[in-house]
Amino acid sequence: MKNRPSLRYFSGPFKAFLGIFLLVSVLLPLLRMFANIGSVDPLAIIAGPRFKQAVIHSLTASAAATVISVALAWVFALCTLRTGMRFREILGVFGTLPMLIPSISHGMGLVFLLGANGLLTRLFNLSGSIYGLKGIVLGSVFYAFPVAFLMFSDILKYQDCSPYEAAAVLGIPRRRQFFSITLPYLRRPLVSVVFAVFTLIITDYGVPLIVGGRYATLPTLMYQEVIGLLHFGEGSVIGAFLLIPAAAAFIFDLLSRDRQSQGFVIQQTLPRKNKFRDAAALGYCLAVCFLIALPIGGFCLLVFAAKYPVDMSFSLANIERTLQMKAGRYLLNSLLIASGTAVLGTGISYALAYWTARTKGRFLKALHLISITSLAIPGLVLGLSYVLFFKGSFFYGSFAILILVNIVHFMASPYLMAYNSLGKLNIHLEEVGQTLGVGRFFVIRDVIIPQTRITILEMLSYFFVNCMMTISAVSFLAASRNRPVALLITQFETQLFFEGAAFVSVLILACNLTVKILIYLYKRKENYRDQPKRREKQRAAA
Amino acid sequence: MRVKLEARDLVHSFNRQEALHRISFEVREGEFLSILGPSGCGKTTILRILIGLIIPDSGRVFKDGRDITFLPASRRNMGIVFQNYALFQNMTVLGNVEYALKFDKEKKARSRSLAEGIIEQVGLTEHLHKKPYKLSGGQQQRVAIARTLAMNPQVILFDEPMSALDAATRLTLREELKHIQKKFQSTMIYITHDQEEAFALSDRIMVMDKGGIEQLDTPQRILAEPGTDFVRDFVLNNLLIKTKSLVKYVKVEP
Repeated sequence: MKNRPSLRYFSGPFKAFLGIFLLVSVLLPLLRMFANIGSVDPLAIIAGPRFKQAVIHSLTASAAATVISVALAWVFALCTLRTGMRFREILGVFGTLPMLIPSISHGMGLVFLLGANGLLTRLFNLSGSIYGLKGIVLGSVFYAFPVAFLMFSDILKYQDCSPYEAAAVLGIPRRRQFFSITLPYLRRPLVSVVFAVFTLIITDYGVPLIVGGRYATLPTLMYQEVIGLLHFGEGSVIGAFLLIPAAAAFIFDLLSRDRQSQGFVIQQTLPRKNKFRDAAALGYCLAVCFLIALPIGGFCLLVFAAKYPVDMSFSLANIERTLQMKAGRYLLNSLLIASGTAVLGTGISYALAYWTARTKGRFLKALHLISITSLAIPGLVLGLSYVLFFKGSFFYGSFAILILVNIVHFMASPYLMAYNSLGKLNIHLEEVGQTLGVGRFFVIRDVIIPQTRITILEMLSYFFVNCMMTISAVSFLAASRNRPVALLITQFETQLFFEGAAFVSVLILACNLTVKILIYLYKRKENYRDQPKRREKQRAAA
Repeated sequence: MRVKLEARDLVHSFNRQEALHRISFEVREGEFLSILGPSGCGKTTILRILIGLIIPDSGRVFKDGRDITFLPASRRNMGIVFQNYALFQNMTVLGNVEYALKFDKEKKARSRSLAEGIIEQVGLTEHLHKKPYKLSGGQQQRVAIARTLAMNPQVILFDEPMSALDAATRLTLREELKHIQKKFQSTMIYITHDQEEAFALSDRIMVMDKGGIEQLDTPQRILAEPGTDFVRDFVLNNLLIKTKSLVKYVKVEP
């Protein structure tokens, strides 16, 4: 057996590249932002009335929206996973639909429905304004609901049901079961969901920008300071403040993940039959899905109506006008940025995950921690850090900076997907290759990557979908040449061209939906291929 | 018999805790040597040093009289079979066995026929195009053995290969392993903590505890003259429980 080419000679430069990448793209820009705080008097800013008011507004709106979205999502997750209702799967998929459009579109959706000339306002002759706290809470609920629902789905999927069976055998009443089994199990994951949702809402500026009105929150204040007034120092102070909830959520998650690492056997059972419960669950889920569909339906109506609300006849004039305003070119920008981010981001996060999950050495824990740090950095903060760090360089204003900021912004989740997936593969695969005379590179190419191809696809899709939607970090960095299409929504909204904003939202939704459907079809094909026995049975039955 | 493999004064530590204390032993050509000991006694560390996955802190490893201590695993002409099979789940049985052959310039052209031949010898021809996860534990382990045999290694190391299998499968696989050894005339080193397995398979047994060798001898002599109290307790007392099955394999000399 001969010694085959291996990664031995490349591993040094490869590790150096990843190390420098993390340093330049995460640590240095953040440090630069903190250094910028020194240029102003942070205490005076924090003690100022605008800042104080924004903090109170942010906390109030985020707390209310968190409670509502978490409660709605918990019941929705219970209905789709713990009942025998019909259409469970399809309703579950539908519940995640709002994740495919930018948060700013949720704000727009509310305006279409409940604004002064809104569909529902006119239909039911409603009074009162949607702008302010009410609008932010409602819009944020739409935005955060699918995230909370997905997190709860995961929790419920991995809950061990055997304690319930034991309790049923012992004759313990259902109510007692809830307090003695469900609540203790849920406590930690529930706190985790609440933290994540709260952070998501408090750092979002899409919804408050559209429906906030005069109700300024921290992200809108930061946006005004930096983009409107070029007050980078003030922006940095608010940015540092916004890091607090995200960092708290990150640390909590890290601690609970360590404690949860002990493996246990999961016993799952089918829910008992209960027609009344199933009918109620179906009613609830249909109602939620109807509410989710309302703004999306509103967008479509607005796009194809000749002139809302005066002339509701079918017309393509709005699409034509939007395309004349170069929406097509910006869509291409977005597709380029999203594809670049997806490919490069997946490559980098996969390589990092391979390094931390499947090799031995010093600093791997620190590297793992840095790789998931971006979970704790809101997009706005990252965008501002990049402005301060890269301004004046050749890099600033290029497509590359948008791709880089998006990679860093969204890297943590795909990295964790790869880390978990690679960690589950047999630990001896590379060693077997070594003894058989097959280098590490070939084992990665022929064994590791094929076995994790579904994860790789999920990573690509995660990067792509999020890049298509994001407006937070890129809004600080985009110039007219490289502007992504999602930022047109803000532009059209300020120009009062709502039909255009609606069309852009639909475009983004269509792109993201296409990617999701393609991946779903591929996964189904793979599952089908791996289950010839089932296929034979189906054929026999046919 | 000629000495195939020699370990001389091996010392190795993990996190400043010594796992091996100056271990020396020889393995003869065509011999079946079992390394028997409780968990954490250092047997897997020896195995990984022998195959080249770990470089010892000090000491030397010789194969056919040549110092191979720093030689990469791929150039030692030795194979390893792991407890959890470590099969390539994305490839078929044929793909697993054929994979490494395709990287060998001399065997590349004949890789398919060579792989099919080995698979036939381990009795898996009917499963040629199945993915490993569709096979039983015993069958998967036979694929792992076939994959190693395909490279025609001079020494095969087994790292507790049967501990994940049920009792009946272990008995069958044990017989097959003996059969394979006779057929391929390979030198085999077998790591186990199962006394019965070691006595049933081995020409010689090396009993280990706490990073040192307690006794290295034939099964008959270990039974007749246990070298230390540990050997008496760990090996003999445990074996007494399984005496009935033991008499099938070992003739105790008076």
